[in-house]
Amino acid sequence: MKKDLAVRFVGSAGDGLVSLGLLFGKILKMHNFNVLAFRSYQSVIRGGYNSYQIRFSHNEVLSVGEDADIIVLLNKHVAKLHKPLVNANAMVIYDEDIIDLDEFDYPEDIVKLGIPLSAIIKEISKLKVLKNIVSFGAISHLLGLDVELIKEVILEQFGGKGEKVIITNYEALDKGIKFAEENSWLPIWEKHKFGKARQMIISGNEAIALGMLSAGLKFYSGYPMTPATSIVHYLTKHLPKLGMIVKQTEDEIAAVGMAIGAAYCGARAATGTSGGGFSLMTELIGMAGIEEIPLVVINSQRAGPSTGMATKTEQADLFQAFGASQGEFPKVIIAPSTVEDAFKVGSEAVEIAEKYQVVVIVLLDLYLSELNATVRKLELKRKNQRYNIIEKPDENYRRYEITETGVSKRTIPGTKNGMFFTGSSERTEEGTSIASTLAGLPDTLPIRVEMVKKRMRKLDYLVKELDQPKLDGPADAEITLISWGSTVNIVKEAILQLSEEGIKANHLHIKYITPFHTDEVKKILVNSKRKMIVEQNFSGQLRDFIRMKTGVSIEHKLLRWDGEPIIPSQIVGKAMEVVKNE
Amino acid sequence: MSEEYTLSLKDFESSFKPTWCPGCGNFSQWRAIRQALIELEIPQEEVVVVSGIGCSSHIPNFLKVYGLQTLHGRGIPTATGIRLANPKLTVMVYGGDGDIYGIGGNHFLHSCRRNVDIITIVSNNYVYGLTTGQASATTPVGTITRTTPRGSIENPLNPISVALAAGATFVARGFSGDLKHLSWIIKEAIAHRGFAYVDVLSPCITFNKNQTFDYFRQKVYKVEDTGHDKENFSGALDLGSQVFIKDKIPIGIFYQIENKTTYEERDYTLNQGIIPAQAPLDLTDEQIDIITEEFY
Repeated sequence: MKKDLAVRFVGSAGDGLVSLGLLFGKILKMHNFNVLAFRSYQSVIRGGYNSYQIRFSHNEVLSVGEDADIIVLLNKHVAKLHKPLVNANAMVIYDEDIIDLDEFDYPEDIVKLGIPLSAIIKEISKLKVLKNIVSFGAISHLLGLDVELIKEVILEQFGGKGEKVIITNYEALDKGIKFAEENSWLPIWEKHKFGKARQMIISGNEAIALGMLSAGLKFYSGYPMTPATSIVHYLTKHLPKLGMIVKQTEDEIAAVGMAIGAAYCGARAATGTSGGGFSLMTELIGMAGIEEIPLVVINSQRAGPSTGMATKTEQADLFQAFGASQGEFPKVIIAPSTVEDAFKVGSEAVEIAEKYQVVVIVLLDLYLSELNATVRKLELKRKNQRYNIIEKPDENYRRYEITETGVSKRTIPGTKNGMFFTGSSERTEEGTSIASTLAGLPDTLPIRVEMVKKRMRKLDYLVKELDQPKLDGPADAEITLISWGSTVNIVKEAILQLSEEGIKANHLHIKYITPFHTDEVKKILVNSKRKMIVEQNFSGQLRDFIRMKTGVSIEHKLLRWDGEPIIPSQIVGKAMEVVKNE
Repeated sequence: MSEEYTLSLKDFESSFKPTWCPGCGNFSQWRAIRQALIELEIPQEEVVVVSGIGCSSHIPNFLKVYGLQTLHGRGIPTATGIRLANPKLTVMVYGGDGDIYGIGGNHFLHSCRRNVDIITIVSNNYVYGLTTGQASATTPVGTITRTTPRGSIENPLNPISVALAAGATFVARGFSGDLKHLSWIIKEAIAHRGFAYVDVLSPCITFNKNQTFDYFRQKVYKVEDTGHDKENFSGALDLGSQVFIKDKIPIGIFYQIENKTTYEERDYTLNQGIIPAQAPLDLTDEQIDIITEEFY
């Protein structure tokens, strides 16, 4: 019996691909499978060519997989386009009433599983999307899934739409199953009783939203931009119960401006966008930096530059994050790796921002933002505490007092005797600007020097709190793979495959980019036999950064920038080439 | 029991003295704002004055309240965030024509329609002062400035008409040369429920030799003296259009309606009386169930 399977639905926008994917994911989750699902799509509302791949296993699922075991073609247009991506041993399910696979010269060895979908749904309803449920019924027969569990999920999913919808969906499901049975489709897995598990299936964006909420997020603002928008969608949905503000603004400048205003006022605040919007935010990011206002900014990276490829993934905004705003100020940059990690980073970012009064930039990417994964229970119940806020300031209160850690106590508006001025200019400990009449006066030179040092040394203290990067895998490996962000588990899967090929590899994954664990990373890398960076960009941005910080050159690279996620076999191929050529 | 209100103009002054040119129109606004706050008996700690960049935007430096100077044009969004996080506060944006009509124009438009209860005061001197005299959004055609040495060839913005068209619920214009009237307008603006906008004719004595105190003194007249009905929208539009094209410039409250709901009243969180900045941080079991249900 196969350990894991990948199913790919291929259709056009408007074919109901996403709801089918979500439904299928939930059904698999109910059957106690671990699930990973990712949609590849285009920036169109109707038509085009989209695919939704779900991989599932009772073991850990590390990537959405490469070849699909079962491919479902939802219309003729995509049947033609999808041909180059059909592997020789796939089972292809399609609507034989409208698609003739022979017309497209599909590989000989595939198992063609035609269903007269158009004819079948004619008996039930006018709704074409029901074809999805009929095909799904047939798939559930192949997988030996539990019909009662499936119906339970359908009821949950569509229950709100009325009894008639449920009945037609059940009918479509039954017809699909019946068709497969009557046509003697051979099940891949035998029918067996599945253990029902209570785990979540959730996307990276939803996970980071949950993480921030668990840490007391009270204000989130944003302007619509793929792939960050679903954070606003999710938060808005539950708004009346959350006691917070979620604000769609006129542009990203207003989004970050409002978040800063709310944070200044004591609300834990965040904003989110993608690279283009992040560009607009950068000037105010610098202001939050000098005014020492806690702020979380999420940049879910997509293929750039400019509009680039709006629905495709990339990790090419690292240098943009370093360079976000002029001048020098402490900037924390964290790159979450998995959906579970996105949850952790969500709460961590909100907390670090308040504790150190700094800007925390979270670098997600489209792949992680939109990846759906089953996760163990997320710890949403937390005992949060406030950091460095004083309610009863005495007469010695100075908002920007020079301290050992660089963090000064702050008052928030409304606090008696706590009034202070802050501005985007350099200042005294009291907050008075030294930029206009005082700048350059002999007395103010040391003030400037100390203020910069005060702000910058926050990172020296923060870095001690953060988990150090670790080398994963055998110390005597032939090759060390280095990655950051969403590629973590893809690299892990590649390492498993490499070990099957007899090559020992280990893995250094970077989560905290600034402050950077320079000594630790250097120590790991100088002991590696061979080093290869894995990044979703053209120039190897993390590689260059590591060299800049540690002086260590990573001599090999596997870079991908065509917009699709890196796949394990690419890494395996390149790593084998590197190891064998030396 | 509430304590007796004893704050004076001096109490609202910070230890840092204004750096404006002697004779600048901003001085009377600095005073008018303090006077209005005192007349309304608002405690210092409940006032946040937010500004952008420009000569006028230095004002939070000189006030003893919670003062926040932001970036050029970004006072309005920052103030909006402050107000939404804590609607108990009196939140005022103060800036110049370059700041609010030029670089911050988009935020100005949207704050008019959004109707968040903040006050926006624009010290309108028809020129960029801090950068030593360039044309602004309100500079009249033909004006010679350092970026328009042959005279400005752009038509100026009429901010009053723009604010009215964008849905502002309080639109007024004051004059720096009439402190009493200006302070009354600002007081009404603070007391107004919803977005209140005040344009202030404020001469730049260094870089603008055209729109001087004398120029305005000869032209301004108070709409209150003409029997203008401030709830009459088309009447307000008509007054708003009387800039540069007539010998008379109206000042006063052009438009005010109180019966429009504010953003705060429509917001699902704020209309429950919740102050987000002070709300509990920890999620309750009930909240956790609600926000995670869809993932199971």
